[in-house]
Amino acid sequence: MLRASATTRETEVNINGINGNVAAADVGVEFGAELMQFAEAVATRNQAGLEHSRTALRSIAGTDVLVDAAGVAANFQRMVRIADSMGIPIDDTESDLGKSVRSELDLGRFASAQNTFG
Amino acid sequence: MSIFSYQDADYAIREDIKQAHRDYWQKLATPGNWWTGAERVAIAAETRNALSCSFCGIRKAALSPNSVSGTHDSNSNLPTAAIDAVHRIITDQGRITQVFVDQLAANGISNEAYVELAGVVVNTFSVDEFSRALGLALEPLPEPETGAASGYRPAQAESGTGFVPMLPREGLTGPEENLWPNGRSANVLRALSLVPDALKDWLALSSAQYLSVPGMANLVGQDDRSINRMQMELVAGRVSSVNECFY
Repeated sequence: MLRASATTRETEVNINGINGNVAAADVGVEFGAELMQFAEAVATRNQAGLEHSRTALRSIAGTDVLVDAAGVAANFQRMVRIADSMGIPIDDTESDLGKSVRSELDLGRFASAQNTFG
Repeated sequence: MSIFSYQDADYAIREDIKQAHRDYWQKLATPGNWWTGAERVAIAAETRNALSCSFCGIRKAALSPNSVSGTHDSNSNLPTAAIDAVHRIITDQGRITQVFVDQLAANGISNEAYVELAGVVVNTFSVDEFSRALGLALEPLPEPETGAASGYRPAQAESGTGFVPMLPREGLTGPEENLWPNGRSANVLRALSLVPDALKDWLALSSAQYLSVPGMANLVGQDDRSINRMQMELVAGRVSSVNECFY
């Protein structure tokens, strides 16, 4: 969805920010590095990292951005657990965009890929 | 004082997020389709326990979740199989398999009960994660309401996708006629549809914390959000990547 949104906005992004590359996260996304690091700290449950990244994001982007980012992060902490606990496969394995993103991010390394490809 | 006031924040929390959290807490306390209100609140409590469970830590580190045995840190009255399911969904969801879900059913946790349990787990966890992300205190769990579970199962549920029966992508009728927000569905929406109320609960939370399903079609960004869609998807993508989410 990051790539789809960037295409709609005619903005160049580097989706490797999703895999934790700080420099990549900042390409084309305002506060990208800080947002990525905050999201990472929420998901890894690294308390020190979370406090640091929360302070950094608030400092550079403000509290409204912090709150909205927390909402999205909290939401997606849930989504993976829905998908994996119910064993759902992805809906369209053949789209070029999907294939490209899965390849670029090497998503096939995740155990739950078997829910789609067996 | 109203619940979810987030008074320990020294900044404003969007009112729609507060209201969504209040609404969910009320539903959490109410008897569901397969669990009573007391059981649903107990599942929510176990969701919190799982995060500090020492056995979960050992199992997560094991090459296979089946290669270790032990008991979870819990003082719940829930069935043992239910406690294990809660802990698995929170701490080791990527290794849940069809065999695990089938064994739950053999141990008294039907597919329907499992889906409702999962809905309570993920929605409670998500509400809590919002507070944790902001460094705020967790809201105390609600007092459960009395009453029996309804036992409602949608007639059109069918097997063939994932570990449990789900409603079909198209052609819903009866009470489920308008369940899909745009008349068609995707697997992530279908996932909890064996218990339609569980799906409705997560859609309501998602609309505030992330986007409504119609709102997801807006790839630029909504005026009532302070981050645009690219920023949202970077956050969503990084969380999903850390959690090894293939979907």
